[in-house]
Amino acid sequence: MKDPKNKILILGIGNYLMGDEGIGVHLAERLALEVLPEGVDVVDGGTGGFHLLEYFESYPNVILIDATLDTNPVGTIRKIKPKFSMDFPQAMSTHDIGMKDLVNALQILGTMPVIDLFVVSIESIQQQGIILTPEIEAIIPLLKDKVKELMHELLVTEKVLN
Amino acid sequence: MSKRIVVDPVTRIEGHLRVEADIENGKIVDAYSSGTMVRLLEEILRGRDPRDAWAFVGRVCGVCTSTHSLTSVRCVEDALGIEVPPNAELVRNLMHCVLYMHDHVVHFYHLHAMDWVDVVAALKADPKKTSELAQSISKWPKSSPGYFADIQTRIQKFVESGQLGIFANGYWGHPAYKLPAEVNLIGLAHYLEALDWQKEIVKVQAIFGGKNPHPNYLVGGMACSINLDDVSGINAERLAYIHQLLKQGKEFINQVYIPDLMAIASFYKDWGAIGGGLGNYLVYGDLPTKGYRDTASYKFPSGAILNKDISKVYEVDLRKEDEVQEFITNSWYDYEGEGGKAKGLHPWKGESKINYTGPKPPFEHLDTSKEYSYLKTPRWKGNAMEVGPLARVLVGYAKGVEEYKAIVDKTLKDLDVPVAALFSTLGRTAARGLEAVLAADWALEFYDSLIANIKAGDTRMAEMSKFDPATWPKEALGVGHAEAPRGALAHWINIKDEKIANYQLVVPTTWNASPRDAKGQMSAYEAALIDTPVHDETQPLEIIRTIHSFDPCMACSVHLYDEDGKTISRVSVVGD
Repeated sequence: MKDPKNKILILGIGNYLMGDEGIGVHLAERLALEVLPEGVDVVDGGTGGFHLLEYFESYPNVILIDATLDTNPVGTIRKIKPKFSMDFPQAMSTHDIGMKDLVNALQILGTMPVIDLFVVSIESIQQQGIILTPEIEAIIPLLKDKVKELMHELLVTEKVLN
Repeated sequence: MSKRIVVDPVTRIEGHLRVEADIENGKIVDAYSSGTMVRLLEEILRGRDPRDAWAFVGRVCGVCTSTHSLTSVRCVEDALGIEVPPNAELVRNLMHCVLYMHDHVVHFYHLHAMDWVDVVAALKADPKKTSELAQSISKWPKSSPGYFADIQTRIQKFVESGQLGIFANGYWGHPAYKLPAEVNLIGLAHYLEALDWQKEIVKVQAIFGGKNPHPNYLVGGMACSINLDDVSGINAERLAYIHQLLKQGKEFINQVYIPDLMAIASFYKDWGAIGGGLGNYLVYGDLPTKGYRDTASYKFPSGAILNKDISKVYEVDLRKEDEVQEFITNSWYDYEGEGGKAKGLHPWKGESKINYTGPKPPFEHLDTSKEYSYLKTPRWKGNAMEVGPLARVLVGYAKGVEEYKAIVDKTLKDLDVPVAALFSTLGRTAARGLEAVLAADWALEFYDSLIANIKAGDTRMAEMSKFDPATWPKEALGVGHAEAPRGALAHWINIKDEKIANYQLVVPTTWNASPRDAKGQMSAYEAALIDTPVHDETQPLEIIRTIHSFDPCMACSVHLYDEDGKTISRVSVVGD
């Protein structure tokens, strides 16, 4: 567990062994190397499922990054504000069951944080390997900017609230 | 005229299992199990440093994560002749027991209970009667009428809103649900309590493993340093916290999980005669107490049982080339060299060359007369074997180990069912609960031993004298095994010139869910589905019960087809 006093958790999820499906984990790894403002933690959530429940309960804001298989062009980045498990994209990655169960659990327990979800459209989840395809590698700077932009917005809002 | 039933992965869902089965006169008469997704971990590992393999294999899945890492460090240590210090063995055992406690409880309440507990019926229960019933089966304190009434109010909202998939997608009202409303309500209340409980117990993994999910392991021992007075390592305060978590974990298992399991099972005794399947059981063994090589010291004894004959337990040797072999008769792979596809390979000689010959997705049916799975077909001395909690409990029981004898006999007596009832869907689900009890007890034993060692001045946590590749032989073979919560798991490694030359995993779900072999012998899932009754083919609750009783490491969907092969119903089966 990171510092629960912090306000924002950036949580990348995905399977590191399955190519682009691991985009969330790759981004978390890279963000963890940077100096981020006070109040922000970065966690590589892997394919954690229920193991991640407490992370969600410890932060008022969670920025989630994951891959999705949809009809959008490869590399499309979308931001979603899911409130219920059914708000998550239908085909979100290979661990959608774990993620949806987790969100169901947070709802029932009444401990759901504010979640902002960035999903990146990928071509296939049948890829094997720990290297991203050039198409997905190329959008990492943009994805990183978008995540950090939201992070700064949330930090400002949090300060206003306090 | 039989109808075809399909349990489908619907690509994109973890695990990718599909089962096609034929129903005749309300019963399953034939079944085919297919893994439609491939994870060529072997290819990712080839050429890498064997000391790093645990970190990669730990990523293969979010549920079994630490088990794969444990198995990996064991196989490398086995190859290099490394014996880990007693403290490392104890910490590994502790983490493994905690995984069992977590996994079995989560499986029961969150992946399996709703197959037996009717959520909607629970809303009709009388809170006062529920309270009386709860207090009659357990001394668990959360049992007042007000508590149960609150739960009903909370859940009522979710059921009405239809916003929660878990409560929206059930077969509520199906006649195969047999529990009184009050038992349903107890099950539902504890479903919620278990959510909170599970996040506490996994902290033990995070403390010893540095993080969770995907905790850290180390070839030669464990990466955590123990010093009672050190603020940053595993110190007296953290150990005391672990002790508290283990005691709380045990309390929940004994006062909530087991009373619920017994109460629910007492209404489903007919399932003690359904879903038995193979009758062959295989256990590699785990939880060594005197070193990994000393299999006699294992808390989970190893062995094999054939044809439900518990008067005899066969020895198992993972090094012998004629014991564990993988066949690909019905799998989308090719083997090179003499014998080709017809031969079986011991995993040290294993190959993973894909040759997909199935239909182009999306498709409605597999051609099960040809290859139909990405899973290979493992066999033990040519026999199809079931792995998992039931196999472990049966082997412990058959070997006459006192702890197993006591708990199994008591359970059979309390439920008033014969030993034969163990070979069933109910037996599988019950065995999982009994294991959780044992694991919780053992965790505390291991904790006490660890404290005793530390107090005696032994703080060694890793044996590093052979960590440097310069000390390694030019070539070395190793096998690492573990008992994952869902069954026997082993990794075989071939190290050449300091790198991984070959790495093969045979995972529990491969034993259970694989396609038939050349002789036409079914594996465990296929066999267990035969004769399973299906009351209403648009709501195949019974199939889900049997499949879930194996704790499949996957999520799947059940599709039902009519005679023309059209989908008539589609059902989400949630698993992990």
